[in-house]
Amino acid sequence: MEKSSSLNSQHDLYLQEIEGIDDYWGPTFRAIFDNEEHGEFKKKLQERIKQHDKDIERLCNVYYQGFIESVRELLEVRSHSNKLNNQVVGLDKQLHLAASNITKSGSELLQARKVQSNIAVVIAQLNLCLPVFLTYFKLQKQIAEKRYYPALKTLEELEHLHLPHVSNYRFSRQLQENIPKYREKIGEASMSDLKDFLENIRKFSPRIGEVAMRHTSEQLASDPTVIGRKKKRNAALPPGHSNEEDLSAQELIDFSPIYRGLHIAHILGRSPTFESYYRAERTKQARLVLQPPTNMHESEESYKAYIHAVLGFFILEDHVLNTGKGLITRAFLDDMWSMALSKIVTALQTHSAYCTDATLILKIKDLIMLFCATLKNYGYTIKPLWELVRELRDHYTEVLMQRWVQVFREILSKEDFQPIKVYDQEEFDNILLSFPWDGDLPDVVTFPYSFPFSSMVPKVYQQVKEFIYACLKFSEDLNLSQVEVDEMIRKSMNLLLTRTFSGCLSSTFRSPHVNLQEIIQIIVDTGYLEEANVYLDQFISNITGEDSRGLVAGVAQSQHAMFRVAREDAVRQICEKLKQKLNEFLELENYDWLLVEPKGHASSYISDMIAFLQTTFQSFTNIPPEAAQIACKSACEHIANFLLNLLLNEEIKQISMGVLNQLNLDLLQCEQFAASEPVEGLQDDLLTYFEKLREILDLFISWDWPTYFHDYAQETNKYKKVNPDVAIILLEKLKEGDKKTMFTVLKKSERDKKKLLETVLKQLRQLSQIPPGK
Amino acid sequence: MAKTYDYLFKLLLIGDSGVGKTCVLFRFSEDAFNTTFISTIGIDFKIRTIDLDGKKIKLQIWDTAGQERFRTITTAYYRGAMGIMLVYDITNEKSFENIKNWIRNIEENASADVEKMLLGNKCELEDKRQVSKERGEQLAIEYGIKFIETSAKNSIRVEDAFFTLARDIKAKMEKKL
Repeated sequence: MEKSSSLNSQHDLYLQEIEGIDDYWGPTFRAIFDNEEHGEFKKKLQERIKQHDKDIERLCNVYYQGFIESVRELLEVRSHSNKLNNQVVGLDKQLHLAASNITKSGSELLQARKVQSNIAVVIAQLNLCLPVFLTYFKLQKQIAEKRYYPALKTLEELEHLHLPHVSNYRFSRQLQENIPKYREKIGEASMSDLKDFLENIRKFSPRIGEVAMRHTSEQLASDPTVIGRKKKRNAALPPGHSNEEDLSAQELIDFSPIYRGLHIAHILGRSPTFESYYRAERTKQARLVLQPPTNMHESEESYKAYIHAVLGFFILEDHVLNTGKGLITRAFLDDMWSMALSKIVTALQTHSAYCTDATLILKIKDLIMLFCATLKNYGYTIKPLWELVRELRDHYTEVLMQRWVQVFREILSKEDFQPIKVYDQEEFDNILLSFPWDGDLPDVVTFPYSFPFSSMVPKVYQQVKEFIYACLKFSEDLNLSQVEVDEMIRKSMNLLLTRTFSGCLSSTFRSPHVNLQEIIQIIVDTGYLEEANVYLDQFISNITGEDSRGLVAGVAQSQHAMFRVAREDAVRQICEKLKQKLNEFLELENYDWLLVEPKGHASSYISDMIAFLQTTFQSFTNIPPEAAQIACKSACEHIANFLLNLLLNEEIKQISMGVLNQLNLDLLQCEQFAASEPVEGLQDDLLTYFEKLREILDLFISWDWPTYFHDYAQETNKYKKVNPDVAIILLEKLKEGDKKTMFTVLKKSERDKKKLLETVLKQLRQLSQIPPGK
Repeated sequence: MAKTYDYLFKLLLIGDSGVGKTCVLFRFSEDAFNTTFISTIGIDFKIRTIDLDGKKIKLQIWDTAGQERFRTITTAYYRGAMGIMLVYDITNEKSFENIKNWIRNIEENASADVEKMLLGNKCELEDKRQVSKERGEQLAIEYGIKFIETSAKNSIRVEDAFFTLARDIKAKMEKKL
């Protein structure tokens, strides 16, 4: 026993070594083998392994439960982890979801931030630009409102104040570029404004002229210095004055476009252009205005329109001159006015010359007068217009004459040239009212009463008065002296009577239908009209306040000369009519030129004619003596000439002494008439017409040839009016007439007779060869 | 000198003032009419040549003033007259009644064998007629003279009247020869 215990402790050491050392086990195994204990050790090892296995088996038993448990726990962990995993994924998703909104908002926020900052920048820039735009807007507005002058100012502001701040913008450049254009535009616009204005005043200037004329007329009407101005006119003024009338004419127009335009032009440095444009345009307008309407002479309205337009034009010019700061100069206006004046005068002259209406001429005159007065107020010279008015006055008188030609013609054409017959006092008085006649009125007027004159006399008298009134109308307001007016009226009236009325009269009695009686009445009437001239003279004096010329100068003489021409004409007509009648008688002449024995009394045509002449001069008791004398003379002359010519008629080749004796009887009849003083104041005068014929017949009937030849060419010659040639003609005719008897009876006495005849003829032929007076 | 006519008849127009003697004469000589009344002063005449049965006859027609104051002048012409027209106005009774006086006047002053004729003038004024045609005819028959109603204004039968009177004078004259 000690030996075995020491042997077991060794083996345990070996086991420890093997167990302690994992490898390098050789030295241990050798020590065992060297001690020849291997058997024992093997047993021990086996024991040990057995022990270990046992340990392992117990350990495994112990640990197996734990292992199961662990597996179980592991499984449990797996499910948990799965679950966890799901949860995490879910969370992750949720997170993702939640985060995406945020990111979005974030980016939006970023964007917004950016925008915000941009806006801020923009606002800042805009603030810079805004004044530009505002100014620009203002500019536009001003331009639109045509306030060009402020616009121009604004433009300047824009250019110098605002635009430099925003020069880096394109629009600024554009604006900058546009500024001159705007200037241009404003310039143009103001020019066009000026054009509009010019157009406007062209339309309006007649109105200005009209108002100015009205003002002048009112002023004239209320001017106390103008004496004799018709009061009627004052009263005629309408009491209600419109506001417009309180303004002076030029105030009716807004001249601001001109001033503005001028300003603008000044600023733009275009004053000269503006000025020359204005002047040129106004000159053109002046030309237009001065061009009278083609049918101006037709109505007062067109004259008015013309004059108003011209007046308006120059009133405006005057105003522009005074206020336009040298837009036009005095010289320019004066030039224009003198050009205009000549044109106005010409236009008015031409057109008024066409005018045949006296009333219209009066109106034209009034217009021109007012025109003158108004122009004078505005300081224009008007002298040529005055001359025009004078010319117009002549034309007016001329037209009046024309009108009165019609009036007189009318009166004369309706006139019956019968003495006026009145049947009662009223008619009687009416005639004396219309015609001043203080002739030999009977003390007691018995009705019916006949005036010596025809109704033409009072009518013409009235018309002459009318004419005087009409003449007077023209001199109204003309500021002529009384003497001038008086002279003018007298001259016109004289012309009217001596020319116009006389002309009418002359043409009246040249009408074939006017008979002797009517012509005589006309002569009578002219006498009364001439007498009435004194009253017309007074009438004029009353009007003009001038002394009656009749009292001063020898008008009385010229009075009777007034219708001298007409009366001469009338007397000539009477002679003519008488001659016509006489010719009708004379055509009835039917002499038998070979009459052997005269009838013993005058031929019937001669007796009828003489009787007719006698009755005619007897009947026309109202014929003025001088006219009757002339008519009677002309009648006698006519008859004497007829008889003489009849005797000498070449167609009558043969005459007898018998017919000479018959002619002698007829001539005696005529001479009796001539000597009977058929018209007062005519005695021997009439006989002279028949003297030649008387001497011829005496010579031939008395066959007193010795005396004829003896006394030939002597003052005492009884036959001094018998021309040898005439005697020859008659002797030849007698010779022819005698022939028939000559051949049959050749008695001695006949032969002597024939011989004597030949001698006488021979003598006569000799005498006719000698020129008379030797 | 060749004669321009064969006969010269002197005719006379008488009657009251205003019956239209001058108008009748005017119508016959000038074929015209004048409405304005101008009373004849004293005496006037017209000559018209007519052709009657191949003869040229000059009618010298004396127009007398109807007014009383010219009576002495006009009656002097009665003697030379070969034919007398007595004129009255059918619208004027008085002028018709006066015809008798005129005829008495003729008998006193004119030659006995003067041809007379009665004219009722203004026959165009039928509505104003005062003297019937029958009364005119009656009067004409009483005096044994011809009668005709005329209108100088409307130129009715004026020619007829003068031609009739001229023809009668001519016949009487040729009978005498």
